[in-house]
Amino acid sequence: MSRLWLPRAHAAERLGLDRRSFLAGGGALAASLLGCDSRGPAAASGLLARSERWNERLERALFRHDAMNVAPARARAAGPSFPSYFISDEVPVWSEAERGRWRLEVGGLVRRPAELTLAELMELPRVDLRLEHFCVEGWSAVAVRTGVRLSELARRAGVSPDARAVDFQSFDDGYHESWDLESALHPQTLVVYGQDGQPLEPAFGAPARVYSPVKLGYKNTKYLTRILFLPAANGGYWSDQGYEWYGGV
Amino acid sequence: MATPRHHLVVRVTHWVNALALALMIGSGLRIFNAYPAFARQGETFCCYPFEGRPIPAWLTFGGWLAGARHWHFAAMWLLVANGLVYLAFVYLHGEWRDLVPRRGLLRDALEMTRFYLGLRKDHPRQGKHNALQRFAYFVMPVFGALAVVSGIAIWKPVQLAPITALLGGYVWARYWHFVAMLALVALSAAHVFMVFAVDPYALRAIVTGGYDESKSPEARNARPFRRLRPPRPPAGAKDAAEGGPR
Repeated sequence: MSRLWLPRAHAAERLGLDRRSFLAGGGALAASLLGCDSRGPAAASGLLARSERWNERLERALFRHDAMNVAPARARAAGPSFPSYFISDEVPVWSEAERGRWRLEVGGLVRRPAELTLAELMELPRVDLRLEHFCVEGWSAVAVRTGVRLSELARRAGVSPDARAVDFQSFDDGYHESWDLESALHPQTLVVYGQDGQPLEPAFGAPARVYSPVKLGYKNTKYLTRILFLPAANGGYWSDQGYEWYGGV
Repeated sequence: MATPRHHLVVRVTHWVNALALALMIGSGLRIFNAYPAFARQGETFCCYPFEGRPIPAWLTFGGWLAGARHWHFAAMWLLVANGLVYLAFVYLHGEWRDLVPRRGLLRDALEMTRFYLGLRKDHPRQGKHNALQRFAYFVMPVFGALAVVSGIAIWKPVQLAPITALLGGYVWARYWHFVAMLALVALSAAHVFMVFAVDPYALRAIVTGGYDESKSPEARNARPFRRLRPPRPPAGAKDAAEGGPR
């Protein structure tokens, strides 16, 4: 099979990613309603932004905690052909020598902030879910995810009623994505430390990452370091560059 | 003498639909190019011969993946709202009678095809549309509906999982979305070709609404690119006998 859709695709997207120039995008005006790989008239940017807000309201209204992903029984697990993305120049690897032991911080608007080592994380109630992953690019892939429900971590931390959003932060060069609280508390939203029965590999976000089928791939922060409960969303790596912030599936 | 042919609602929704389809197809192809294949990762796909080959960039719209998605998810409202207005009008106004298949459609379509191929000399009798048009204008909204339903299925494969399952899962829903697009492109291309090759006078009807029945393809006995000119006025014309109104 062709390699065209392997990780390079996203790297190429990054080249043209300045939202300002997208929104201002003067040059693309003329005769741009049809074809020519055009971005369309700049005058439409306000309309597009309004439609994104409208769509987000609809997506939130459609959202159900009991709407579950079930990976098709006949689908083959992607295994090593699962594409791996990160924004650093090389695969980010947590160096204990430089940064000390890895810990997952759970904080923000919570009554009992915590810092969990990987061992402590693995002692919490464990779930194994065979899930289909949906990438913004259009591909999907099946894997078994092993980890802890985010709702479990939230319960232990005692999330304040003022929290409306969650930010998932990483050690991958500042990559983070914030979510609406509802999606974060979906029963299939996990902090994952194992994939396909193996410990999570560095290419896939070791030591731990967020994973949920209710969000597009880019919302699922890998190389996780901090889960912050917030009064309002604070953007994200891809959302800040023009990808829709909600990114719901 | 022009008589009214297309109601204002039909004319407006026709052109809004043309714009919405162009936006949806252009941005859809740009989205497709981010992963121009159907196979799930680690699998192969049976039914698409061009797996992994992107669509030429000049056919796409939206500039980059996120931009194309913003256009796609905005223009979808235009497409759906406009489509519903059209269907509601066609139903309430009774125009559906000129559009739905009826007994003998297959036979009439065969006769039209025989006429276009030169196997039959006289243009088959028709109402507002000939049998091939009737078929195309009926099938167009059907594929439109398939495009919308399969689009919803790949937009929300978790929250609206039953719809995705109905279409055979996410991978197949994506495929049916693409097939529906191909069908809409093929129908539109054939439609535009036939307008210019057989009935350019229909352009006026879809803009101002007026249509001169004496210049209709049936009156001209017109095949593609044959007898495009209107029959001469009776005064001094030898063509008149051949193609004049009955």
